[in-house]
Amino acid sequence: MDRQITIWLLIFTVGATTYAARMSFIAFFARRAMPPWLAEALKHVPVAMVTAIIVPSIAFVSPGTLQLDPGNAKLVAALVAGAVAWWSGASRSSHNPNPMIVRQSAVLTIAAGMIVLWLLKYLVG
Amino acid sequence: MSPMLIGIVPFGVVCGVGAITAGASPIAALAMSMIMFSGAAQIVATQMLAAGAPFAVIVLSCLVVSLRLMMYSAAMAPYLRPLDHRWRSLLAYVLTDQAFARTIQRFRESDDLAGSASYFLGGGALLWVVWQLATLLGIVAGQVVPASWQLEFVVPLCFIAILMPLLRDRVSLLVFVVTAMAAVVLDAMPLRLSMICAGLLGIAAGVVADTRKGARG
Repeated sequence: MDRQITIWLLIFTVGATTYAARMSFIAFFARRAMPPWLAEALKHVPVAMVTAIIVPSIAFVSPGTLQLDPGNAKLVAALVAGAVAWWSGASRSSHNPNPMIVRQSAVLTIAAGMIVLWLLKYLVG
Repeated sequence: MSPMLIGIVPFGVVCGVGAITAGASPIAALAMSMIMFSGAAQIVATQMLAAGAPFAVIVLSCLVVSLRLMMYSAAMAPYLRPLDHRWRSLLAYVLTDQAFARTIQRFRESDDLAGSASYFLGGGALLWVVWQLATLLGIVAGQVVPASWQLEFVVPLCFIAILMPLLRDRVSLLVFVVTAMAAVVLDAMPLRLSMICAGLLGIAAGVVADTRKGARG
């Protein structure tokens, strides 16, 4: 299928499912409460899905080629960015109840990661 | 609401960059932000598209990511019940991580339903506008920055900024480790199913750990 057509179909399909998730208890199951087991499981969705999204783009240098050593510039950059995110998150108080909300410290994390990536590329080749 | 408005800018820029580097046209990249209006779902869609995942797998993965919106929907529902259907349909559209965090407290503490609903709608609309402007910035950056700069790497970096503060308890760490290992081990799975399978394994590990913790004490 043509890439642009696929993208437009995705926009409308995922747009619809995302809107359905938002409407779920507000409109569709308005008379029901969320079952406790579901609430428990949903609590872990952010950590699991964010990890599942980023690991392949960091641990693999090209599709199918795993590289877990300092020769992988993305891995080194990600570890530095992780340290920056941890430090900048820790230095703020933990009053942010929902970390899915990107805070200003994200800018610092992104900058640190990109600078390390570019430096390694420049130095190592 | 203003600190949130600044906070979503980098994420919105990242979404614009991610869509462009995945091959979306500028119009499609902007439409994505307008129609999906969910950074996490947009990133999953564009990342998986770039990785060559089939349509159904992308839709399914985005659905799993959007499940957290059901939590917000459930928490918001009792307060919105008196409103008519049109209002609820409109408010659901602007229900995001940020709008929820800023508004739910107000609904809990105030009896002024119309006031709280207006605040929710106003804040949500503001977030929407800023989100589109940030996406536009990312679309421009994605087009003018040369590919050799590897700008697409801002996507995982942005998620690292989201992830680190989440890893503050043992169960979350376990979910992270299980998911990360599964994502590496399952990478060879066909149809890019590895992402959703690794994610579900991580969630399952978290549920099991919670159950055992509950049983112990």
